Parts: sequence; structure tokens; C-alpha cells
Amino acid sequence: MPSSMSQQILLSPAELSYLHTSLSSSPPIRPDGRSSTQFRPLIAETDILPGTNGSARICFADGTEAIVGVKAEVEKSRARYTHADEDGEGIVEEDEGRGLNEWVELCVEIPGMRDDDSMPVFLAAMMSEALLADGEFTRRLYINRRFHWKLYLDILLLSQPSSYPLPLLSLTTHLALLLTKFPRLKSEKDEDPLFDDDWDASVFLYPRSSTKSFDRPPVTLLVMSVNGNIMFDPSKEELSVAEVVLAVSVGERSRSEEGDMVIDSGKTRDLRLLAVRTIDPPSRLTHPGVPNALNTATGGSAADTSEKASGQRETMAEGSVWQPPRGGAKRHQIAAMIQKVLEQGGVAEEVMAGLDGVDLG
Amino acid sequence: MPLDTSSYSLALLRLDGRRWNELRRITAQISTMPSADGSSYLEMGNTKVLCTVTGPCEGGGTRDRDRADIRVELAIAGFSGVDRKRVGRGDKRVSEMVSTIQSTFASTLFTNLYPQSTIHISLHVLSQDGSLLAALLNASTLALIDAGIPMRDYITASTAGSTSSYSSNDESADPLLDLNTSEEQELPFLTVATLGGSDQVSVLVMETRVQAGRLEGMLAVGVDGCKQVREILDDVVREHGKEVLKSGRL
Amino acid sequence: MAITILAPAPAAAALPPRDHVRDSNDDDDSDNSDNGGVNLQGDFDKGSRPAKRARHTDIITPGETVTDDSQWMRGHGTYIAPASTEIIATVAGTVQKTNKLLSVRPLRARYTPEIGDLVVGRIVEVQSKRWRVDVGAPVFAGLPLSAINLPGGILRKRTETDELQIRTFFSEGDLLVAEVQSLHQDGSASLHTRSLKFGKLRNGIFMSVSGMGGGGGVVRAKRQVWMIHTAGGGGEVDVILGVNGYIWISKHIEAAGGDTAITRIEEKISSTVYSSQNDEISVETRTEIARIGSVIQLLVQEGVKIEEETISKAYEAAVGVASLNQGEGSGYLGGELGRIVMADVGKSS
Repeated sequence: MPSSMSQQILLSPAELSYLHTSLSSSPPIRPDGRSSTQFRPLIAETDILPGTNGSARICFADGTEAIVGVKAEVEKSRARYTHADEDGEGIVEEDEGRGLNEWVELCVEIPGMRDDDSMPVFLAAMMSEALLADGEFTRRLYINRRFHWKLYLDILLLSQPSSYPLPLLSLTTHLALLLTKFPRLKSEKDEDPLFDDDWDASVFLYPRSSTKSFDRPPVTLLVMSVNGNIMFDPSKEELSVAEVVLAVSVGERSRSEEGDMVIDSGKTRDLRLLAVRTIDPPSRLTHPGVPNALNTATGGSAADTSEKASGQRETMAEGSVWQPPRGGAKRHQIAAMIQKVLEQGGVAEEVMAGLDGVDLG
Repeated sequence: MPLDTSSYSLALLRLDGRRWNELRRITAQISTMPSADGSSYLEMGNTKVLCTVTGPCEGGGTRDRDRADIRVELAIAGFSGVDRKRVGRGDKRVSEMVSTIQSTFASTLFTNLYPQSTIHISLHVLSQDGSLLAALLNASTLALIDAGIPMRDYITASTAGSTSSYSSNDESADPLLDLNTSEEQELPFLTVATLGGSDQVSVLVMETRVQAGRLEGMLAVGVDGCKQVREILDDVVREHGKEVLKSGRL
Repeated sequence: MAITILAPAPAAAALPPRDHVRDSNDDDDSDNSDNGGVNLQGDFDKGSRPAKRARHTDIITPGETVTDDSQWMRGHGTYIAPASTEIIATVAGTVQKTNKLLSVRPLRARYTPEIGDLVVGRIVEVQSKRWRVDVGAPVFAGLPLSAINLPGGILRKRTETDELQIRTFFSEGDLLVAEVQSLHQDGSASLHTRSLKFGKLRNGIFMSVSGMGGGGGVVRAKRQVWMIHTAGGGGEVDVILGVNGYIWISKHIEAAGGDTAITRIEEKISSTVYSSQNDEISVETRTEIARIGSVIQLLVQEGVKIEEETISKAYEAAVGVASLNQGEGSGYLGGELGRIVMADVGKSS
């Protein structure tokens, strides 16, 4: 395996300390000069694979690249024996238009990793969690009481996973789902489904409405914080000094149902928080730096015992050498990070607006 | 029936409108992924593959301490075929293709220049429509050139078939160049790769039955296809080279 | 706007639609063979491209005969076909002639160490008497304990204590600047840091620029290490361009008192040479270090050679652009600002 593939990128204590101090100052000085909410520009392309119902490709500035292909097949719904026999029609009616999570199959493939390695499994779990969170998504796959669409989402990371690939995969999936189309249904009610073979007449999985706002697939963003500074789209170097890293999934609901009330509130979008996960930052696994005073090679004297060494280290002035962060994430910290994502005119809104700008085929 | 025998004999055109000795459209790009040592994207008709090369880098050399190891990884995307199908890494067809690619490049690259290191070739199939192994070999060649790994010459590949099936026992059947999926399913075919467009065959794979008499014609057409492919790939490399030299000068 | 999403580059690399069957006589290469005894007969029938070794801008591709003149010796990127005198290219690139040595320089390749190269490396493994260093080459380089300056002066004898304390000098992850001292049979390099300008790196940021060759990347130049007087009160910043494409940008630290005796300098230096502790670095300096970093990133993205001249020019342009576009994030050159900077650089050169 190439050395660059190791999840833990190796940085020297001097580098870590430099990064940490730079990111802690206010405003933070990021190594590439970005502002705290600025994303690196990315290259997106949609509808690249004619053999799929929807597809997208995104390249990040750091050279990582992903392709997502969505394929749908008609599947016979499992007959539900639950209470139908006893209670008659009533229960079945309740199920009308409902979807099941098993109608969606989501696979993440990462080069050099087996399908059952922890990273692809974890990523797939996080992405489907965001997608299925509100139960709205599977509802779209309902055809009639006997049939439904089975949706296969194949998410391929094409490059070595140099940084945490979740945002890349999530944005690519978002675009692919936005572009996903089904052939138009010609049959009625519970007949065997018959479709219009004119692809131009096909319908979107996420139907467009004339107003600018319609339902959208979720987007998962990575947010990190160092010393109270909240930063978006962290690079792998920045992640390695992060104190808290959150994956925040955000969805958008169409406003049309709720009528004028929401428009009055002046909000441009109705964003909803779908899921939050804390991610263990790689910074916890780094080695602490050795201060000059404890290093024999720099004229200091090493402590005799390890207890003494850690004791001496504790009393050192903070910030002189790298110390891995300790302790968990504070609640107000997490709240502040989520707030920053969701607030009006905040990052999630801008990301959604940016994704709107992509030429949708 | 992919090749309507009656109409073929009249117009001598295949279902997609090609003549017997015509390649599908080949487009290729190299250096598609700046973060990899070498990368390429290749389309042969509707067969689309992507290749990245990492290395030579530390590690490996387990098979032979004096030369670089070549490791090939092939992932066929679930959405690449007509029906959605997951092809695992342990799939027999996949591992056969992997070992063919691995041994082909082991004999073509100057691996002795990089002892105790490893060259990783990672291939992604995004869409398949026949001639898959040929497309994979061509894409790997391009990515290896992009990575600056020394090789004797281009390895270029194509497929060749015959216009009627084995059972029809038609000795006068015409050979066909560059088959698509439906042709591959119905007709006998072989995959051939040559070194530098010469007559030196480095890969010859045939999994279907065909009368021995027809083989020579098929092989000749396949080798000629490899020559055409080499010209096309060479143009891609030269175009890219010109671009690189131009931008390097500021 | 926090996020910029771009369409893929207009298919610059994609070829225009073309016929499947090529015309037998291609258009771009006319047969003006020069006098150097270049073989025109390739071993494929048509489009046998004449190898014009006289023009350096010409691209040679693998399998192409560079010359069949036996007066040339083959260098890197070539091989001689068995039972012939033909020198054939093995990589795609440009022909380079050094005296009678003919080599093909690839457009892009991994770094191959050469004796005397200044490299930046990262320790990946600590062994009992040496370190293994990642320098971006096909195999790790070695740095023997005997090839470093030990603290307490250059003349000190190496003791067993030093071997036991090998991690106090360099440990995993540490960055260093060193010189390639010798090459082993297998192509791996042996490094040394026996000079005051080499040693552990601190007070700055690291960058990696992959690939070197005819196009972008770091080139072997007269000066690999220099100082930039930065704008905006950033003071002086050192840039170390490792030949291997690893780059270190750091705050310039004045060497200890200029007039003290040589031996004193040794002592003074040795007290900080293995330190992992950063000095006090002002916000202004950090901002400018970040700016130089983004300038280099921009040059890499544009495929421009990374050398003192290009960096200085682009840095000046970046400072100019930043002064017009005040505000947070004005240092980032990945988007629109980068294009303005490149346009400015293009004008000035």
C-alpha cells in the first residue's frame, strides 16, 4: 500500500504546533489562506454515464475524485402479512405510499479497501442515515401497492482517500440524486407497471417545481473547530490538529406546502438538520512534541521517569510545543458549530445555492 | 440477433453501422487526476474505463527483490452494465483479467530499474460495452506513460471476432474488428494485444469456440486493430506533451 | 460566496472527433530529418515518425527510435534493442543530450535521487543506527546516525548513548533538509546533514509538489534555498525547494552572532538544531507564509515550473492582488483571485 494511503498522516510536532497556533489566532490563518467558511473550488460534472438513471462526478481541489451512479430497478414489493389478515384493509391503507429502507442499497467503494473494511462501511452508514432520516426519501420510490423502485447507489472514490472523503462523496451523491430520473408510469393503480419508453418524458426523483425551492437530497458537511474557531472544508493537515470534528447532514424541504407563512419569515430556504455525528479527529493520535528543556539533544535534560516527564510537561507554558487535544467536545461548542451551518445566510445555504448553480443536464 | 446474417451479407454493415474492419470511436485523456502519479481515462465506444497508477513506491518486492512488483486492482462499478450487478473482487473473470494485465506489464515495463518497490495500477470500469480487457490494457498503458515509468513500447489491444457463430460452421465467415457487448455474446471472438503496433503479440485471450481455419483471419484483423489503436494513443500522448511543455514555460 | 463549483475544464485534453481509420500519411510531421544519423524507419508500417532529436520541444514517446547512430551512449529513459544500435525511448518526454549521452527526460515522473541533490524529507522509520526517510522517491532514503552532526560540536565522537537516544535527534514524522550523499545499487539514496544549513525543520509549513520533469514541478536549479522579503510586515521568510518536490516555507531565523568564532557557532547552533519547539511567529509572518504556500499551489495547478523566479514573480502579483481585494480569505488563490494573479504574472513576463 502506498504510504500516502495511511489514514493517519504523519506530521512533525513542529508542524502541528505551527498549524495549531495559526488556526487558533483570530481570525484563523489557514495554511492555504482561505477564510474560515471558504470552500476550495471543486469541479462538478453531471449525467456522465448514459447507462444510469443519474450520475455525477466531482473533483476536489486536493485531487480527490468521486463518481456516483444511481440505477433503479422495478421490484415486487414484499407482501405484508403483518396484521392484514385480522384487521382487514385498514392497515394496508395506512401503508399506502410508504417506503421501506430496504428499497435503497448504498455501497461505498474505496480503492485499496475491502468492502467490509471499517471506512467504507462507516461512510455508507453515515450517508444512508442522512438519506433515510426523515422517511421521505423511500416514499419517492413507491410505484403502487405491489411494486416499487429498488434504488442502487454506487459511490466510487476514484483516488486514494487523502483526506476524510465524506463531504466529497456526499456532494457527489447529492448531485447524482438530483439528476436521477425514472421513466414515466403509464399503467394505473396496482396493475403491473408499464412505463413510457420515451426518455424525454421521464420524471425526476426530486421533482422540480416552478418556484426556486423544492425538496433536495441531503448534504453532509464536515466542520471542525480549533480553539473556538469554526472552520469548513478542512484539509487533511487542518484535520490533524482539530479539536472537534462534526459531520453535519442537512436537507431541504420544499416550501410550497406550507404556503405564505414561511415566505413571510424572510428565509430563503427551509433547511433542516438531519443528522450529526462527531468524528474522532486524527489529532488525538499524534505524538506530543518534546520541549527543548526536556530534550537532551537541545541542551535540556531528560526526565528520569515517565511520571516526572509528564509532570514537567504539564507545567510547561501552553503553546510552546504540540500537545494532542484532550477531553471531549463541549456541548456549547457543538451547538455553535451546528448553528454556523444552519443559520440564515450560513454555509449550508451557500452550499445548496452553489449546487443549484451546477448545470443540471 | 446482433448480426443479422442476411443483411450483413447484403450491405456488409454491422448493426451499429460499422464495416468489418472499423474500430469504434476511441477517445482518451491522460493526467486526469493530478494527485496520482499517473492517470488516464479511455472510451472505446460505450466502454469507459479509468486508470490510476501509483508508484513506483516503497514496499513490496516480495516476489523478486531485484525488480518492482506490479499490483493491479480492478473494480467494476455496479452500474456499468445494463443491469445493476455487483462484481466482487473475488470474481473469477475479474481475477483473470487482473492477472493478464499484471503479467503483460511485468514483461513490458523495465521493472528492474525499481527494485524493492511497487507499482500500483488501479482500474475502474464505469461502463461496459464489449472489448473490456482491451480497453483496460489500453488505459493502463496510457496511465503508465503518464507516470513516467519506462516501458519497451506501447501495449495496445483490440478484439476480433467472426461474422458467424461456431455452430454454423461457416468457413468463409468474415473477421470483425472491435466487438461490442451484443456481438461478443453471440459470436466467437478473441482479445489480442501487441507491443508497439508490431506483430509481437503479448496477450491473446480467447474463450469461445471457433474453427481453426478462421482463427488466422481473426488474428490478422486484431493485430491490425492494435496498430490503429497505437496510433490513436500515441497522438493522445503527444498532444498532452505539447500542452505540458507549453504551460511549463509560464 | 463560500463555495465555487466549476464545470470541468473545456475538453482541452480531449481530442477532436476523428476518423477511426487514419490517413496513412499524417500531417503534423514532415520528413525533415536532420544530419545526426537518425533512423527514419520505425518498425511500424505507417506514420513512422522521424525522431528529430535536434529540436528539444519535440515529444518522444515510448518505442520511438531516437537514433541508430552508434556514437551516442544511451542514458535514462532509453534502451538499446537487442542486436542493434538503435536507441529507443522508454518514456514520453523530451530528448536531452549531455556530451555523448542521450537521454529522454519524462514529462512527469517520480523523483530519482542524484548525488548532491538538496532534498526535504520526512522520517518514516527509526532503526537502531539509522533513519528511513521518505523523499518521494521509489524507495525510502537512509540517513545513518554517522551522517548527522551531533550536538556539542562537529568533532564529538559518536557513542553508544547516541544510538540509544536516536529518537531525540529525529523521530517519526520529523521533517529535515539534507543532501544526497551516495546512491545504493537499488537506486535508494543515502543522505547526510553534516552542514549547518541542513537539519530539522521547524517554524513553518510543508508542501508537496508531485512530479518533476519537462512540465511543472520543482527543477534542479542554481538556488534551491533563498529568502523572500515579504510584504505587510511579514519579515523575512525562507523557502526551501527540495529537488524531490517537497517544499518547506518558514520564518527566517537569523543565525547566531556573525562575529563569534566558528566553534562557538557550532555550539550555539547545536542547541537548537534538533528542537521541535517553534519560535514566536507573528500573525503577519504566518499570513505571508500562507500566501507563499498558496502561490506555489497555484503555480502547480497551472503546470508552471516551480523555481525562484516564478515564485517571486507570482508572489509579487499575489501581494498586489491582495491589496486590492481586502478582507478575510483574500489570501486564497484557488479561485477567481488565482486567475487574476496568473494574468498579472503573464503580463509582467
